Amino acid sequence: MDFFLGTYYPVFMYLVVVIGFAIAAPLTAHLIAPRKVTPVKQMPYESGMDPIGDARMKFDVKFYLIAILFLVFDVELLFLYPWAATNQTTGSLIPSAFKDVVFWEIQAFLLTVVVAYIYAWRKGVFKWR
Amino acid sequence: MAFTWKPPKGHEEWSTVYLVFNEWNFVITLILIATVMGVVQGTCAYLILAERKISAWAQDRVGPNRVGFDLGFDFFPFTMLKGLGGLGQPIADGIKFLLKEQVIPGGVDVLFYLIAPCLAVSTAFMAICVVPFGATASPPSLLDYRTDAQVRLATKPLASFTDDDRALLDQYRKEGPRGVVWPRSRSEEELLLKADAAHAKATGGKPYPERLKEFNNSVQFVIAPHVDIGVVFVMAIGSLGAYAIVLGGWSSNNKYSLLGSMRSSAQLISYEIPMGMSILGVMFVTGSLNVEQMIEFQHANGWNILFQPVACLLFITSIFAECNRVPFDLPEAEQELVGGYHTEYSGMKFALFFLGEYTHMITTSFLAVALFFGGWLLPGVTAPGWGGWTDAVVKLGVYGGKMLLFVIFYMYIRWTIPRFRFDQLMGLAWKVMMPLALLNLLVVFYVKHFELSSWLMLPLSLTMLIVATLLSLRMPKPPSKTDIGWRGHPVTGRMAMVAK
Repeated sequence: MDFFLGTYYPVFMYLVVVIGFAIAAPLTAHLIAPRKVTPVKQMPYESGMDPIGDARMKFDVKFYLIAILFLVFDVELLFLYPWAATNQTTGSLIPSAFKDVVFWEIQAFLLTVVVAYIYAWRKGVFKWR
Repeated sequence: MAFTWKPPKGHEEWSTVYLVFNEWNFVITLILIATVMGVVQGTCAYLILAERKISAWAQDRVGPNRVGFDLGFDFFPFTMLKGLGGLGQPIADGIKFLLKEQVIPGGVDVLFYLIAPCLAVSTAFMAICVVPFGATASPPSLLDYRTDAQVRLATKPLASFTDDDRALLDQYRKEGPRGVVWPRSRSEEELLLKADAAHAKATGGKPYPERLKEFNNSVQFVIAPHVDIGVVFVMAIGSLGAYAIVLGGWSSNNKYSLLGSMRSSAQLISYEIPMGMSILGVMFVTGSLNVEQMIEFQHANGWNILFQPVACLLFITSIFAECNRVPFDLPEAEQELVGGYHTEYSGMKFALFFLGEYTHMITTSFLAVALFFGGWLLPGVTAPGWGGWTDAVVKLGVYGGKMLLFVIFYMYIRWTIPRFRFDQLMGLAWKVMMPLALLNLLVVFYVKHFELSSWLMLPLSLTMLIVATLLSLRMPKPPSKTDIGWRGHPVTGRMAMVAK
């Protein structure tokens, strides 16, 4: 079946209902629940101790590296999805004569990804010490 | 649902294109949405009770058994509703969540603090809308015929073209790019109908009006039927859940929350990749992203777990990590981080985080069952297609039963495997699961591309798993933090066993 947006309207209806629920539930609780502000209640929880310093501290740069690597590999996966979804079907967008060529191109593409992966490993991105 | 279709007023020519969009369908969708939201929330509430009961059973305790449907009130007159093995506990919990004080601690980033739980619950709920709970029917299309004819033309060598083929090709060329045509007018639709009838007669199928009638009499057990990007939609919406955790942790102004959310975001994005790769193999074999079609494919070709056990293993491991379940529950490791990212949340906002987590569990269980365990298929009991109301209910039961088994498996694992350390967790995702997923993908690609038997995938992928395991045993082991050494005690001077 070809794409048309008419298939997707229940998604948007559902989105409206879900967001409505997500807002209404805490709002109702806010309206009917008691509220009494005390200084101790306002304190961040730190196992009963008085909190020391700000909580918004620096964090390890490795999280950033992981995020970048995630982008690399997830985008790589996204490139593969359309090909994987259309390759086997009979109504494929890929003409049969090109199937071999496309397949080997995908293998070459995967090879470059593997090179990137090995590079990241050798550079020690996956080391958590 | 049984309804008679009619095109909207003034647009009578839209009969095929706007098939799935009319007033009646609108109402049906609303009813479906209300049902699904209600059922999922109820299921979540009782899954929490089940979790507590299973935990109690694993630890040789009794678990919740006081609150029956009297909800714990002393003045309740009907004694028969008291107790009941804690069946009223979820309802009492819900009321309590609503009546609890909504504490907003000082120093929080109020906007993000309030948005985070809403985001958590809405992303978890959104993912369900493409998961089919039971049988669905595909809408018939006049374009089905057209694509078939185009494929026949495209795959035919030019030398053996007949005059008819040439005429057809010319016609397609006139019709525009790629030859895909909507019936733009009543006359064109009649032409297509005629062509469809001829095609149906030639192939032994049913003509379009009959297929339409069949479709109109069928039931759709999914909120958004026929969404072609199905699995990718679930993954995309599921990854949005990471935002809720990061926002909640960052805005709370609490060190535990921040640490929990940083860990969690790294974990979620790391496990997304093996998960995507294991889905890719299934997708490649099926040739579709649509969950309904994936289930139907497994009817004809056998359940995917028989062919891709390694992909199934990787997928299940990843969804455990995506749902923050034990062994991967570092973001909310109670012993180290109190409550992780939801330490500062209380009352309804905490409940929304919890609801989101359990909904995510239900969605991923449905997905795992649909991808690898045949969805609503049970050999000898259910088959694709619309088989009447009884059949639909049986399918719903089979699918729901498989999903519940999976959720119980989640809970069983919680009391079986201890929690990972964070470096082990990241190592597992990047150094073990990613290469394994890639190799598994290659096995699927090569077997399918060279049109070998699908059964070859089973021994190949298992051999790959075993060889990888053996190789990893021979690899140089990195020094571990838990290596034990001997050192003099700084105060007493006595030799003591310490971590190096």
